[in-house]
Amino acid sequence: MTEVATYYEDVAAPPMPVARHGRGAGFWAYLCVALSLAVVFVLPIIWAILRSFQPARLSSLAPQSGDFTHMTLANYRAVSHGLYDVLPNLVNSVIVGLGTALLTTVVATLAGYGLAKFRFRGSGLVFGVILLALMIPFQAVLTPLYLELSDLHLTNNLIGLILVYTTFNLPFGVFVMRNTFQQVPQELVESARVDGAGFMFTLMRVMRPLIVPGLATAAMYAFLYAWTELLQAVTFVQSPDKLTLPARLYEVTTSTYGSINNAYLSAGVVLAMVPCVLLYFALQRYYVQGMMSGAVKG
Amino acid sequence: MATLELEQVTKVFENGVVAVNGVDLSINEGEFVVLVGPSGCGKTTVLRMVAGLEDVTGGTIRLNGEVANDLSPGRRDVAMVFQNYALYPHLNVHHNIAFSLAVRKVSKAVRDQKVREAAQLLGLAEVLDAKPRQLSGGQRQRVAMGRALVREPAIFLMDEPLSNLDASLRVQMRTEVMAIQRRLGAATMYVTHDQTEAMTMGDRVAVMRAGVLHQFAPPQELYDRPANVFVASFIGSPAMNLFDASVALSGDRVEVALGSQRVSLAAPKHPELESFAGKDVVVGMRPEDLAPGAKRLDVEGDADCEIAADVDLVEALGNEQLVHFAIDAENFRGGRARQPGSEAGVAVASRLSTSAAGKGVARVDPRVRVTAGERVTLGFDGDRLHFFDPLTGLALSREKGARVEVPAL
Repeated sequence: MTEVATYYEDVAAPPMPVARHGRGAGFWAYLCVALSLAVVFVLPIIWAILRSFQPARLSSLAPQSGDFTHMTLANYRAVSHGLYDVLPNLVNSVIVGLGTALLTTVVATLAGYGLAKFRFRGSGLVFGVILLALMIPFQAVLTPLYLELSDLHLTNNLIGLILVYTTFNLPFGVFVMRNTFQQVPQELVESARVDGAGFMFTLMRVMRPLIVPGLATAAMYAFLYAWTELLQAVTFVQSPDKLTLPARLYEVTTSTYGSINNAYLSAGVVLAMVPCVLLYFALQRYYVQGMMSGAVKG
Repeated sequence: MATLELEQVTKVFENGVVAVNGVDLSINEGEFVVLVGPSGCGKTTVLRMVAGLEDVTGGTIRLNGEVANDLSPGRRDVAMVFQNYALYPHLNVHHNIAFSLAVRKVSKAVRDQKVREAAQLLGLAEVLDAKPRQLSGGQRQRVAMGRALVREPAIFLMDEPLSNLDASLRVQMRTEVMAIQRRLGAATMYVTHDQTEAMTMGDRVAVMRAGVLHQFAPPQELYDRPANVFVASFIGSPAMNLFDASVALSGDRVEVALGSQRVSLAAPKHPELESFAGKDVVVGMRPEDLAPGAKRLDVEGDADCEIAADVDLVEALGNEQLVHFAIDAENFRGGRARQPGSEAGVAVASRLSTSAAGKGVARVDPRVRVTAGERVTLGFDGDRLHFFDPLTGLALSREKGARVEVPAL
């Protein structure tokens, strides 16, 4: 019987000749355009990295100096030592980023599960209202939000910042988690129920591998939002040692009577980029999967 | 005490749909009960209510004597096999089967032993490390069964487990499922829409339609004594031929008029027709009870048990012939499961017929020569005729005083 099976396999799939298309002019044109666009997008980043190694006197020239021959690590020394040391702020950013990601993910998971799995009257309405919050620009509510935080004694406090960031990230997080849970086949959950599994057991053992892409997407979005956010960070936190990294860099460069030390700023920017890039590459597999599954199933 | 008792169980959904309407059932220890019926008849809903996956709107479900309406599924000592297998995709076969034991915090040693036993029984010993996506349909089905087996529940619940398999695999798995059930001696509730599965597998079969239980009896009884027109036309393939007829009494003979033809039966043998003298009745003839050629005379003399019919179409199946015929009696149209000859070219047959209105199918020995267009005489045994009340669809029972408690159409 096995011989027959392999026979059919061989007959059914004869070796396909590889089609060789000539590399026509269209291909080269496409390549040129694509490369140009890539350069346009990547150039600022490369420029910033190069600038971070420039001596301060060269970097502050106007127009910007293209002289990258005198490389120095002085800027990196400046961001990590002395008066304008931003390493504590880097730590603050990490705390706020991770805190936001964690809180958003936990709350979004619970909300997403409830909205996806329980058919109760008004669940559509609740979901719609949550999504509606996506459309509110935080700038519009900045002042009332500050007053509220002030009443709660959470101004100048990283916890307050985390709470604010989480609030603005929840709509997207709930959206992603609800979609993720909707894709978990109901029969798996029911089968676990009949076997006697409770909610946490089902979540951890049955659903966890299936929802990891969604979790990664929601967590990453929340982290990046918190990491790169500037206006709220500057508004709600005042002490330099409590500021997040972007806020501190902003504060340092704007408090020197108009002269901006670009090299120092570039060094700070590169410092800010590194964790994000690392995180992206670490979670890329799940992130892409999460977005694709959302796109396909809707 | 029965393992499972359903007492007037009812389910009404939020949108007002009555999915299950007053079902009474019981399953005894070791019994294999099949719930069968067309799509949407509520059989799966009944199963899910027994599992605890749906709330019960009315009535009582008793498991081993205890009322189970409000028990959560995990506490009910039931194991369920789903139509789409519901295997956990990230766990291998071993962990899939062991899942329910892991939930109950059974020790690893015991878990492994039970998994090994189940795998041995189901022929899965070689694939214990494989993931579900690497398995064939039949293997996945067996893993799903293994998962239910290790629970050693009071009752197995199976929701159309074979309908996702191809035809030949289905036949093979059918016998395997029955063998396993018999070996374990466990009570089982099996849901299917396939009447062949129901007839071959069930100790007792419950026929449902539109939320109502029409008859609950062993397969042979469903075949020999269907409670109403629906059960009569649902069980048996090709479906029973149903014709409108009228009854007249003359002396000790009962004359059943089928169109322009008369069938004469001995009155003492058909007491159920006495109250229908001068009225209309529905006559049912199973295709396998019709044979072309000579009329049959049984001992007590049911003479004239034959009708003449025009042959529209003959389907040769090798082991038998399906003869599609037409007579000038009307087909009974109300409340039946399938139209006659719906498995085959009924559209063609109706185009071929010229005069007669009523269509029927006869199962004929392959050695008899029957050709389309000719007129044949179909003989039958008067005792094997079925009679039904045209208004209610209920069968007219021959047993004196027997009351058929079944809902109308």
